[in-house]
Amino acid sequence: METADLSHHISRRFNEDLERVRNKVLTMGGMVEQQLANAVTALIEGDSNLGAQVARDDFKVNGMEVSIDEECQKILATRAPAAGDLRVIVSIIKTITDLERIGDEGEKIGYIASRLATMERPADKYREIKHLGRIVAEMVHAALDAFARMDAEAALRVARQDRVVDEEYESIQRQCITFMMEDPRSIRRALDVMWIVRALERIGDHAKNICEYVYYMVYGKDVRHTKLEDVERDLRDRARGA
Amino acid sequence: MNSGTTAFVYVTVRVAATLALGAALGWFAGSVWAGISGAFALYLAWNLWQLRELWFWLQHRSVADPPDALGLWGDVVAQVVRLHRRKRFHKERLTRLFRELRRSTAAMPDGVVMLDPQGEIVWFNRKAGELLELSRRADVGLRIDNLVRHPDFVEYLHGGQYSLPVIVHIDTHAERHVAFQLISYGEDQRLLMLRDVTREVRLEQMRKDFVANASHELRSPLTVVAGYLETFGADPGLGELAAPIAEMRRQTDRMTRIIEDLLELSRFEVNDAPIKGAPIDVAGMAALLRKDVLARPTHPHQVELAIESSAGLLGDEAMVQSAFANLVDNAAKYTPPEGSMLIRWWTDAEGGHFSVRDTGPGIPSEHIPRLTERFYRVDPARSRDTGGSGLGLAIVKHALHRHGARLEIDSGEGRGSTFTCHFPHERVLERRVAATA
Repeated sequence: METADLSHHISRRFNEDLERVRNKVLTMGGMVEQQLANAVTALIEGDSNLGAQVARDDFKVNGMEVSIDEECQKILATRAPAAGDLRVIVSIIKTITDLERIGDEGEKIGYIASRLATMERPADKYREIKHLGRIVAEMVHAALDAFARMDAEAALRVARQDRVVDEEYESIQRQCITFMMEDPRSIRRALDVMWIVRALERIGDHAKNICEYVYYMVYGKDVRHTKLEDVERDLRDRARGA
Repeated sequence: MNSGTTAFVYVTVRVAATLALGAALGWFAGSVWAGISGAFALYLAWNLWQLRELWFWLQHRSVADPPDALGLWGDVVAQVVRLHRRKRFHKERLTRLFRELRRSTAAMPDGVVMLDPQGEIVWFNRKAGELLELSRRADVGLRIDNLVRHPDFVEYLHGGQYSLPVIVHIDTHAERHVAFQLISYGEDQRLLMLRDVTREVRLEQMRKDFVANASHELRSPLTVVAGYLETFGADPGLGELAAPIAEMRRQTDRMTRIIEDLLELSRFEVNDAPIKGAPIDVAGMAALLRKDVLARPTHPHQVELAIESSAGLLGDEAMVQSAFANLVDNAAKYTPPEGSMLIRWWTDAEGGHFSVRDTGPGIPSEHIPRLTERFYRVDPARSRDTGGSGLGLAIVKHALHRHGARLEIDSGEGRGSTFTCHFPHERVLERRVAATA
C-alpha cells in the first residue's frame, strides 16, 4: 500500500515536472512570436527604436533556452522517462533549439530594420515583406498551437504552408534583382532586404521543423526529410486503423 | 404517513384473513396446518408476483405503464411514481435554468473563460472562442497561457495583480486589441473576461495623432505671426498701436507655450509602456530648478532645498525634469514674494519622494481631484494672468505614470500646497549618480 502510494507520488511529481517544462516552452514561444512581430513592425513602420529593442531583447529568449535545456537534462537524468514521456522530452529539446534560432533571425531582422529606418523607404513600403512576414508569423503561431494541443493534423497543415513561403521568397528575390539592375544605387538597400527575406524564409523552415517534432511527439514517427505526401498517407492510414 | 398506516392495517387484516381462511379450509379438509401452509404459500406466491411486476416496471419505467397493484404494493408504486415525477420536475427546472444561463452567457457581447486553479480552461462562451480562436472540443482542459502566449498576458496571468485589465495586441489572422480582465471567485477559481477594444484603441490612437499633428501644424503659422509682431514691437513710432501690439505679443507667447506643452504631452503619451531609462541625479536637478526660480524677476523670498538622500532615480531624464520643473514652476508662480518654498527629496522603505511645498493661496479641496485634467482651471481669470498653459499638471501626471510613480496633492485654502511625487522602490538608485546635467 505504501509503495503504491509512493510510486503514485513520484509519477505525479514527474507529470508536474513535464507539464512545467512544456509550459515554459510555450512561454518561450510566446516571447519569440512577439519578437518576430516587433521586428517586422519595426521594418514596416521604419521604427529604429523598436528594431534596436528587438535586437537587444534576444538575450531573454536565449536565457529561456538554456534554462529549459537544463530542466530537460534533469528530468532525463533523474526520472529516466520512457515511451511517450521520452518523446515529449526529446521533442522539447529539439523545439527550443528551433525557437532560439527563430529568435536569432528575429534579432537579425530587428537589427537590419533599425538600420533601414534611417534610409529612404521604397514606394511600396515593403508591402511584399509585410505579406511574407504575416504568413510566417501565422506559421509560427499555428505550429505552437499544434504543440500546445498535441495536434498532429494541424501540424501537418502548417508544414504544408512552407511551400507558400518558399514561393514568396523566390518572388521577392526576383523583384530585388530587378531593382538592383534598374538602379545600382538601390543595391545596398536591396541586399539588406534580401537578408530580411532570407531570415523570414528560414523562420518558416524552423516552424516546419517544430511541426515535425509535434508529429513525432504524438505518433512516434520521425517525419523529417520525408515527403509531405507520404506523411499525409501515413496519417490517413492511422485514421483508418483507429 | 396516514395512507401508509392504513395500508399496513390492510396488510395485517389480509394476513389475518389468509390465516383464518387457511385454518377454516384445513379444518374442513381435516388438517388445519396443511390448510394454513397452503394459504400462506399462495399468499407468498401472490406477493412474489407483485414484486416481479414492480421490478419489471422499474426496469422499463420509461416505456411500461405502472402495474395495477393492490394494497401495500399499490401504495409503493404510487410512491415511486410520485418521487419520480418530483425528481423529473426538478431536473427539468434545473436543465431549463442551466440552458438559459448558458444561452445568455453565449449571447454576451464579452468573452468569458472559466479557469481552474492551474489556469486550465473549464468552459468558455462563443465570443471568447471567436476572439481567441479556441475550439470547444480540443481546448477544454488546456492551460490558457499555452494558447494565449503573448508575453504581456502571461505576465498578467502570473502576476496576481488583477485590478486593472491588460490590453493585448493580437495580430494573427485579424488584427485585434483584446482587453483581458481576471476575476477571482470561489476557491481559487478564476473567470477571464475578454473584450474586443480594437475600436477604442484605434480611436485613442487617432485622437493622440490628431492632437500631435494639429499642434505641429499650428506652430508654423504662429511662428510667422509672432515674428511680425516682434518686428512691429521694436518700431518706436507706433503711437497708440504700441499697447495692442504688446498685448498681441503676450498672447502669441502664451499660444506658443500651450502648443509646446501639447506637443510635449503627446510625446509622453505615444505609448503607455513603462520606461526603463537611465540614472538621474535628482539632487543636481533640484539644485538647478532652485536656481531657475531665483533667476525669475519676482520670486518667493525664501527658496529652500532639502536633499535628504543621495539616491538617484532610474528613468527618462527629460520626462522627470519636465515633471519636476512644472511643479517647481507652479509653486514659484503662486507663492507671493514674501512667501517661502521648499523643495525636498528623500527616500524610505517605500521608495523615493520628491516634494514641492509653497505658502501660496492653496487650492480648495473640491478642485483637487480634477487638477490634473487638461485645461482645468481653479480660477479661470487668475490663472490666465499668470500665463500658464493649463497643461502643466497633466504633463506631470503622465510623466509620473510612465515611471510607475504617483502624484499626491495636499492643499487647503489659505494654508499653501504640497505636491509630492512618490516613486516606487525599484526606481530608486541607492548610490549617488554622477551629475549629468
